[in-house]
Amino acid sequence: MASSANSNPVPKLYRSVIEDVINEVRELFLDEGVDEQVLMELKTLWENKLMQSKAVEGFHTEEQAALQAAAHQQAQQAQQATQQAQAQQVLLPPQQQVTSWQSTRPTVTSAPQQQVIVQDPKILQHMSATGMSAAATAATLALPTGVSPYHQLITSQGNLSQNCYIKTADGQILQFVRAANGAQYIIQPQQQMVLQQQVLPQMQPGGVQAPVIQQVLAPLQGGHPQQTGVIIQPQQIVLTGNKVQQNAQVMQMPGQPGQVQQIQQQVQQVQQAQGGAAPGPPQQQAKQQPPMMLQVDGAGDTSSEDEDEEEEEYDEDEDEDKDKDGGEDGQVEEEPLNSEDDVSDEEDQELFDTENVVVCQYDKIHRSKNKWKFHLKDGIMNLNGRDYVFSKAIGDAEW
Amino acid sequence: MAYQLYRNTTLGNSLQESLDELIQTQQITPQLALQVLLQFDKAINTALANRVRNRVNFKGSLNTYRFCDNVWTFVLNDVEFREVTDLVKVDKVKIVACDGKSSDYFSHSSLIIRPRLFLTQ
Repeated sequence: MASSANSNPVPKLYRSVIEDVINEVRELFLDEGVDEQVLMELKTLWENKLMQSKAVEGFHTEEQAALQAAAHQQAQQAQQATQQAQAQQVLLPPQQQVTSWQSTRPTVTSAPQQQVIVQDPKILQHMSATGMSAAATAATLALPTGVSPYHQLITSQGNLSQNCYIKTADGQILQFVRAANGAQYIIQPQQQMVLQQQVLPQMQPGGVQAPVIQQVLAPLQGGHPQQTGVIIQPQQIVLTGNKVQQNAQVMQMPGQPGQVQQIQQQVQQVQQAQGGAAPGPPQQQAKQQPPMMLQVDGAGDTSSEDEDEEEEEYDEDEDEDKDKDGGEDGQVEEEPLNSEDDVSDEEDQELFDTENVVVCQYDKIHRSKNKWKFHLKDGIMNLNGRDYVFSKAIGDAEW
Repeated sequence: MAYQLYRNTTLGNSLQESLDELIQTQQITPQLALQVLLQFDKAINTALANRVRNRVNFKGSLNTYRFCDNVWTFVLNDVEFREVTDLVKVDKVKIVACDGKSSDYFSHSSLIIRPRLFLTQ
């Protein structure tokens, strides 16, 4: 690789730091009796997050594992295929996960679930323009257009449960629930689809976990008779056997007794409900949904009159304390979130909400009257969402 | 003990998040995660000191400054960062700088209780 003065030193630096850290802690991991597999997982998670953050460009060097590149490319292929065909390609990333898991034979059952967590946000991020699946038999993961994934990982009571919330462009909250047994669901209130991804659990020695199926039915408002309201993508990861079963159709479930029957029953219920779909029941069912949802990102989508009143009182106290100009009172009703901010106006700059931060060490800080001079070194900067580094930085500013 | 200053960077935060995920699934202990972070501190400090060799200039207006516990914190507005190759402009930037002269004995984020002598006579 030719290294010119123009090449970005950041990816190389980060990569070398990652390698150093991983190698140094390998001993620590072994001392604690933690498997090497976990170390690899840490590395993978770390690198994935860096890639997702897009703060580093060119991070993915050629030297890196072909596995990651292959998975990434196949994920991209999945995106393109879904955008084109609106079809089943989304299964690929999970499939890839499955194959990779099988190849590595993780000993901890929670490991595959973790990878799913990592991958699914990616899928969701990349699923921009996928519409509804037209074919009832197509196993698709369809999200409404303009979904911007917004997920918070909230661990619920179970160790292996995580909830992700996806906020669509409309402001609706999709609850992407991972139940304790590993089944994943996407619940869209007021939308057409109930999306389910099922990871049928292993028959664990510890006992069979009965699948907790939360079905919130919101049959289609318009007429899409072909579309089943429930599109189930069962992904069966069977670690002990080498089976990867993907079922496009709801009714064709693999032969795991008990669980499958429950699923089938509920699926039948879904289909029956859809058969008699009318605007009334869906709305009722839609109304039933809100209680099931935990809206964590703040109530921005309901009318906020009450909140405005509270904000106003709160704001008046703030103003009295701070002796601010009266001009900010007028802003209270409009943007309660912004109203108490200090003098600087804009929050969203340069398309990013990033606070531009420079973390470094100082050699010398000098001031003359109101002229300041900065001599800094060994710094990492995040400006406009991108990362930069420097060994020396010299700056001037007037106060 | 190296500065823990660099934990709040893209690299550091992604490491912390990854460690948190592993802790949540109980694949590692919090103690082990802490050890990893300490190792990260060493590695990033070394890497920055040895493997980076570029200069940056910047100019802007100083909005606020703070010097506490030997840490400077500045907020600048309308800043231009200039490197040989390119120019980056931002409306607002926060600079956090630890003392570059002494290698850190107490980390930036730790609480240091400085004994004050009260002379009673």
